[in-house]
Amino acid sequence: MTDVAISAEHLSKRFWLHRERRTALKERAVRGRAPKAQEFWALRDASFSIERGATFGLLGQNGSGKSTTLKVLAGIYRPTSGRVIVNGRVSALLELGAGFHGELTGRENIRLNGAILGLSRRQIDAAMDRIIDFAGIGEFIDSPVKIYSSGMFVRLGFAVAVSLDPEILMVDEVIAVGDEEFQRKCFDHLFELRKRGTTIVLVTHSLGLIRDLCDEAAWLDHGEIRELGAARDVADSYIASVNDREVHAQPVDPSAVPAANGAARLGSGQVRITSLEYLDEDGEPSPVLLAGAPCTIRMHFEAGSSVSRAIFGLGFLHESGANVAGPNSGRIGPHPVERGHGYIDFVVDELLLQPGTYQVSTAIVDRGHTYDYADREFDLRVRGRGDQEPGLTRMPGVWMTPVSVAGAAAGEVSVWEAVRAGQ
Amino acid sequence: MTTTARPRSSIWSYRSLIWNFAQRDLKSRFKGTALGWVWSLLFPLATLFTYSLVFSVIFPAAPPAFGNGRPGFFPVWLFCGLIPWSFFLISLMTAIPTLLANGPVLQKVYFPSYAPILGAVVAILVQTLIELAIYAVALIVFGDVSLSWLLFPIWLAIYVAFVTSVAVSLAIMNVYFRDLAHLTNVVLQLLFFLTPIIYQSTSVPAEWHHIPLRAIVQLNPIAGFVESLRQLSYDLQVPSLSTWLGLIAWTLGAIAMAVFVYRRRGLDIGETV
Repeated sequence: MTDVAISAEHLSKRFWLHRERRTALKERAVRGRAPKAQEFWALRDASFSIERGATFGLLGQNGSGKSTTLKVLAGIYRPTSGRVIVNGRVSALLELGAGFHGELTGRENIRLNGAILGLSRRQIDAAMDRIIDFAGIGEFIDSPVKIYSSGMFVRLGFAVAVSLDPEILMVDEVIAVGDEEFQRKCFDHLFELRKRGTTIVLVTHSLGLIRDLCDEAAWLDHGEIRELGAARDVADSYIASVNDREVHAQPVDPSAVPAANGAARLGSGQVRITSLEYLDEDGEPSPVLLAGAPCTIRMHFEAGSSVSRAIFGLGFLHESGANVAGPNSGRIGPHPVERGHGYIDFVVDELLLQPGTYQVSTAIVDRGHTYDYADREFDLRVRGRGDQEPGLTRMPGVWMTPVSVAGAAAGEVSVWEAVRAGQ
Repeated sequence: MTTTARPRSSIWSYRSLIWNFAQRDLKSRFKGTALGWVWSLLFPLATLFTYSLVFSVIFPAAPPAFGNGRPGFFPVWLFCGLIPWSFFLISLMTAIPTLLANGPVLQKVYFPSYAPILGAVVAILVQTLIELAIYAVALIVFGDVSLSWLLFPIWLAIYVAFVTSVAVSLAIMNVYFRDLAHLTNVVLQLLFFLTPIIYQSTSVPAEWHHIPLRAIVQLNPIAGFVESLRQLSYDLQVPSLSTWLGLIAWTLGAIAMAVFVYRRRGLDIGETV
């Protein structure tokens, strides 16, 4: 028999949407009762169970009911119908430092927050030093929190919530705050808690976190569970659906990526790039390109006068600033360009860029001369298929099956033997 | 059928949280002020001084004699009325907005909505106990002490239960009807003069323009609490059984109301504030 930490059966949550609230008596008297509120089902018939020690991810778009689910699990909301059974002490991390009082010192706030999270005085005292140590805010611990920087504030909030050794931890995306060092500390701590057997329920938009941290996940869509299962599978179907929607939702305009103000351009200007167009596998214009798929990047240009020699170039820069690639048409030599409109295609067999947003620079040059240079004027969004690897680009290559070398039982010994044999 | 994820616990199990809320209220109230805690005593003392001045110099009023037979001393007699009144007044004034003030936490963590209200009342109670101690010292100085003081803890327990229940009802209702805070202010002003604090209930005319004024004053529950405290501490008399039963009846009514309001409206504060 498996040990269940959280069990949710047919959970539904209804809210009443008031177009206007009339909480003041005068308004009620003068204008009558508010118009009948509309009902809104934030959660509909959701059932799942989470085993003790498992990490469970909730994903979905904004407004899909993730946070409502978390609040129902944390007991903040009562379900309209259905059952939630939670076995274990819950610490909910829906907002870091919620309940901190500005006038109180860090230490006093730890006591208050600990009590709000349901701990006894003795438990809080026992954890006090650990919390102060984890927050790493030094002597500020005895100053009122209103003078804290926002980073110190969230560090203390996180430290209180996780150092109290919860049996079940509910986290709502709050970890994406603070400086990088603290974020890493938070993730390390989440992994550590998971290892120790803490049940974690995580609401996040980060598919990476779902894949790395979660065992199981539920994908919520308009308050209903669309898919429930192993975290990787759910994340993959989710990303596939989001990509699909994005392609269909955005109106495709041939000049989908318009050039910005040409005044900022460099170069002599006889030929200018007017727009970039991204074509997918089937040659259809698309606002996003799919990693790993064939595509075409079409550079539209306008020549004020004809030019005898021109080389076209593209530069791809990652959000992080890294210059990822810079292909140019110099490989097949300079080309003459006639006066008027035109375009040149850069055909890619397999897009090696990893999912993300890239800035694109374009250039038209000839030996030392620059006709046109648009510095990071265009954007390129690359979507993944779910099978993401780390890094900015994919590395083409083929993995072979592992080879066992017969007779070598222990590697170290065999190396020594090899050395000796060599002598 | 619904089951919530909330722990099934009693008020007693939330005592640590309630006390923490009380401590927060106490600590934050006078933080940053030069006089700090002293302010909590200066306020009632200033009220006491003002009324004493008015009723011993401008409208001289003879205070009733002490229970030990000595001539009465007006400020002490007045203090005995002001202490329970201020406890009631300040408890309501601080408790009513407390749920709205705690809205952000109530939306992020589950705890029963009565906890911050009870915390607010406990914080005021601490101040009231200090005032009561000063009052007791004054009575001891005048030698006005007797066994009737032993009833004081019972009186206090009933009164605290009454004030807390009224505070819980009003604070929860205020989330839904924000006029309540202002309405309460008006009613409290009226109630002050309907309560025998600066006067004796016996000096109220029994009937005035066919309005049974004294009966109205005596029906007011705060009047019952104020007069019974005066009886057992200043007059050194044991309040009658009917007085006790009256106080208990009011308190049970207030508790029933608070439980009703909490069950009806207090469970979903997290999605309303």
